[in-house]
Amino acid sequence: MSAAPKLSPVSAEHPGAARSITIAVAGNPNSGKSTLINAIAGSRLHVGNWPGVTVEKKEAAFEHEGRRLRLVDLPGTYSLSPYSQEEIVARDYLAHERPDVIVNVVDATNLERNLYLTVQLLELGIPVVMALNVYDEAQAKGHRIDVRGIEARLGVRVVPTSATRKQGLEELLGAVVATADRSHVRTIAPLSYGPDLDGATAGVARALEERHPELTARLPARWLALKLVEGDARVLEETGLERDALVAAPLAHLVAAHGDDVEAIVAEARYGLAAGLTREVLERPSLQKTELTERIDRVVLNRFLGIPIFLAAMWLVFKLTFDLSAPFGDWIDAMTSGPFKRWAAVLLGAIGAPGWTVSLVNDGVIAGVGFVLVFVPVIFAMMFFITFLEGSGYMARAAFVMDKAMHAMGLHGKSFIPMVLGFGCNVPGVYATRTLESGRDRILTALLIPLMSCGARLPVYVLFVGVFFPQRPGTVIWSLYVIGIALAITMGVVFKKTLFRGEAPAFIMELPPYRMPSLRSLCLHTWEKGKHFLTKAGTYILAVSVIVWFMLNLPWGVEHKKDSYLGKAGQVMAPALAPLGFGTWEAASSLITGVIAKEIVVGTMSEIYAPKPAHEEQAPTFAEDLREIGTSFVGAGREALSNVVSTAGLSSISIDKADEAPSPLKDAVRGAFTPLTALGFMVFVLLYMPCVVVAIAMRQEFGGWKWFGVAFAYQTALAWGMALLVYQGGRLLGLGA
Amino acid sequence: MNLARLSPGEKGRITAIGAIGPMRRRLMDMGLLPGEEVRVEKVAPLGDPIEVRIRSYHLSLRKKEAEGIAVEVTP
Repeated sequence: MSAAPKLSPVSAEHPGAARSITIAVAGNPNSGKSTLINAIAGSRLHVGNWPGVTVEKKEAAFEHEGRRLRLVDLPGTYSLSPYSQEEIVARDYLAHERPDVIVNVVDATNLERNLYLTVQLLELGIPVVMALNVYDEAQAKGHRIDVRGIEARLGVRVVPTSATRKQGLEELLGAVVATADRSHVRTIAPLSYGPDLDGATAGVARALEERHPELTARLPARWLALKLVEGDARVLEETGLERDALVAAPLAHLVAAHGDDVEAIVAEARYGLAAGLTREVLERPSLQKTELTERIDRVVLNRFLGIPIFLAAMWLVFKLTFDLSAPFGDWIDAMTSGPFKRWAAVLLGAIGAPGWTVSLVNDGVIAGVGFVLVFVPVIFAMMFFITFLEGSGYMARAAFVMDKAMHAMGLHGKSFIPMVLGFGCNVPGVYATRTLESGRDRILTALLIPLMSCGARLPVYVLFVGVFFPQRPGTVIWSLYVIGIALAITMGVVFKKTLFRGEAPAFIMELPPYRMPSLRSLCLHTWEKGKHFLTKAGTYILAVSVIVWFMLNLPWGVEHKKDSYLGKAGQVMAPALAPLGFGTWEAASSLITGVIAKEIVVGTMSEIYAPKPAHEEQAPTFAEDLREIGTSFVGAGREALSNVVSTAGLSSISIDKADEAPSPLKDAVRGAFTPLTALGFMVFVLLYMPCVVVAIAMRQEFGGWKWFGVAFAYQTALAWGMALLVYQGGRLLGLGA
Repeated sequence: MNLARLSPGEKGRITAIGAIGPMRRRLMDMGLLPGEEVRVEKVAPLGDPIEVRIRSYHLSLRKKEAEGIAVEVTP
């Protein structure tokens, strides 16, 4: 197989080559479809979104035995009825784009429900090839499947595959090419849904062909007729057809014989076919032993053990994500803030660039790039573990265990994991909302995640607590976390009753069998996500970093920070903060730069309150720098390992960072704040707008800035109100001004 | 009798799907159709949702949805 990693859309560029083949891959969720696609196309997959929706679209173009194949992965669906966004996407693509072949991935261990989708795919009149996936598992369970029997009954090629073991892939592609080439040959008559329904459908199809030939030229008449019979809302909307006028007469006999619940009659006919076929081709061992999945679930979903096991699993994921990634993040941070800046300075000096360009490149560009890169380890680690949880089947169990608690807040059981991740860093939390099925749940969860106090807010707390509450630092910091959680619960209920009024999406979720995801699939998925973040988010963060640099250093030759644009902006904002007790331009300016990342509040404060005198230090040589980068990387790896091994808890939330805060800063802060205003300031930092990276993650996930706007508005209001409450309430209680 | 009132281990045959609109459609797409036998497997630790076995696979749904599924108890 010669595989050209060419991602551009395939066209008939080579006049000699035979027609290229467009293949749509459709299947149930948990059928092993993505593993199969990864096994076939691997790194040639191009990941994007379906136009207008945030449903992931994977495509690959490659050559197979001299033929150009274009693979389009459809979202995993149980049906083609317009229930979820995924189903609508899959169905619209099939109906309107009419691929040359559909590869229907069927879970061999769960034939009946999978065949229900197959029946619907066959209705479309597009040639189908069935990948009977997870075939090895079915065999291991003692299931005997009559593959030829399925072929004979459905009139399609059926190829047993095992995506994880890479079995049957060549045969599958061979069957696809063969099917595409003889697509005009009809192998068998359409499946029968019973005489009454068949008759009604044929009647509607005839009426359509007579009265709406323009439609039946585009879409298969029989499919359209069946959709009208079952009253498919989307087809009616798209075609503008009047259902009653077309179906009343043909349906009369069906309704008389079977009742007027036509939707159920059609679903029953399809499931009837699926069940009948399953009975004919599947032979199960007479004595069924208890399956592994059931044995695991007896423990994992146990009444008493279920929640402790879930919490332990969460703790493990959190710990692994942040402990594994933190040393590498620190390493990247050290690299960009040390050697890279030194090299840039040397380079710029060598070409005779003016001094301010060194500052721009170092404090604007390299600092911005550093910010992006520092997130990479945590995003990769998080994606890896989340993908593992999903692929193994545990995610569904976690949702099952937590759903009742989360439902009270208007959320879904699966919302819990993104929110927990939010405590480490809100950004992976927002990305993890992808695991939720409904758009409403995704958005609502993402809106609440910024209230989870992330690691970047800790340095701010540590600085202020160290100055004002040295006797009980733990209690104060702990209460800030609790305030965040309490407000998340409150806001969840508020949103449920306002912006997200109406019925929460139903919780109808498959508990798939436990499976070990393939490492290759895990790594590919992780890589896709990491790359996505780097390319998309990186650009914006870099831009913001550069803008902030200009704000701090303009107008030209500004001497005092107060006169910089940032200082001026701080002065404008300060009066609004006056009722909160910290209405100074210094505090306001620090809060402005904190939008890049909240920990920068400390950095800016230190620059404003206690500017460092420029001092010359002995710069290490280039060779020393290189050696240091190498050894510190090894050190980071060792630290990551020891972090995971150690049971010392969450070492990623380390307090040592703020200890680096120079004491001049502490003195300045002691002079500028009181314990009460310090508390108000910390509450404000906890709650005010999410950082730029979260904003970009939200934009990426939900398209456009609308939902970030909502988060920005409600959080700023909340921050202002809560800080006001702390300060004015404290004054009333006589806790000092 | 409805599905939400069955205890773990009990089985029932579906007689009607009471839900309406897209929810009803979803339940039917997942294989919950009149005449089909369904077995309650587990109740979540917090008392909701429940896990059922239908058409040889496992499905979870909230009690609210299960209440809309009428069943007759089968041995």
